[in-house]
Amino acid sequence: MNEDYLWDKSGQPDPQIQELEEIMGTLRYQPRPLVIPRNLVVSRRRTYFPLLAIAATVLLALLAAGVWVQVRKSSKSQPQQAKVPPAVQGTTPSPDVAVKDSMPANKPAKKESTVASNVRRRHNTSAIRQREREEAFAVKEQLMLALRVASEKLNLAHRKSQSTTPANQIKNQHRIG
Amino acid sequence: MPFMIMLFVVTTAVAAKAQDARIQTTSLDHLASTANTTVDVNIDERLIRFAAKAFSDHDADEREIKKLVAGVKGIYVKSFEFDKEGQYSAADVESIRTQLRAPGWSRLVNVNSRKEGSIEVYLLLNGEQIGGLAVLSTDDKELTVVNIVGPVDLDKLAKLEGQLGVPELGIETKPKVKNEEK
Repeated sequence: MNEDYLWDKSGQPDPQIQELEEIMGTLRYQPRPLVIPRNLVVSRRRTYFPLLAIAATVLLALLAAGVWVQVRKSSKSQPQQAKVPPAVQGTTPSPDVAVKDSMPANKPAKKESTVASNVRRRHNTSAIRQREREEAFAVKEQLMLALRVASEKLNLAHRKSQSTTPANQIKNQHRIG
Repeated sequence: MPFMIMLFVVTTAVAAKAQDARIQTTSLDHLASTANTTVDVNIDERLIRFAAKAFSDHDADEREIKKLVAGVKGIYVKSFEFDKEGQYSAADVESIRTQLRAPGWSRLVNVNSRKEGSIEVYLLLNGEQIGGLAVLSTDDKELTVVNIVGPVDLDKLAKLEGQLGVPELGIETKPKVKNEEK
């Protein structure tokens, strides 16, 4: 048996091989154009990933900025609160005096302005409290005036009712007696 | 949820009841233009609480006053003093008196005198508790309306005169009858 047929299809073919060739030949590659079915719906998937990524970045940036501002604020105010002498609150000194009292001599001038603003804020709060107290006293005066008038009128009513009615009763008693 | 509704209803009812003790005196406002002296005090519950902060706890008198106004919902005074007689009309007085004829109000004192004018004291009673007080005092040259909303101790209020720099009016606590009996 010549096996050349298996290599280059030359020579005498084996009938079994020929039969196999015919059977398998139906499955051979046949070139043809691509046909897309008409009922096929191509869905367009929108990807939100880039938008989400941008939004998340902006959010994170804002968050970071907020945290940074907070940290900066707290780091500024903490030492000031610690160094405020208690006597300053009652005496309400000028901002300059408070600066001298509360800051060491070797501190830069830039820090002094922040202390001054803090003192100003404290002055504002104490001024508001002072104003509230004054308003409370004003209302108290009004209240006292109202109570005074009410008390006066009640006593007047009491006096009048006591001075008129019993006298008449006594007169009547004298008449009867 | 039903509890909240019930609470709302009760609160509204209590508020409505408290409002009943309030006398409207706006009808007298026109008298201010002719009056020589006008006293107009309007202090609601919020202002009373606010003013209570100004009362000292160390002073016995102020402590008493603070206690007196503790439950009060409002104090309103309108007083007019005139130079001449007949500056206010009977209708002005009647506008106040009409409100005091409403159910709940009862007249405690009514003294009429041609020389000294008249004075009427009204109480609004919520059961056994005083829910409000109104005093209507009229004279030839004076018209005064005092209205206290909420529970008030009348004895303590009457004793206020002479305290905290308030001059005594020389009102005798004992009636003159005893002298006459002797």
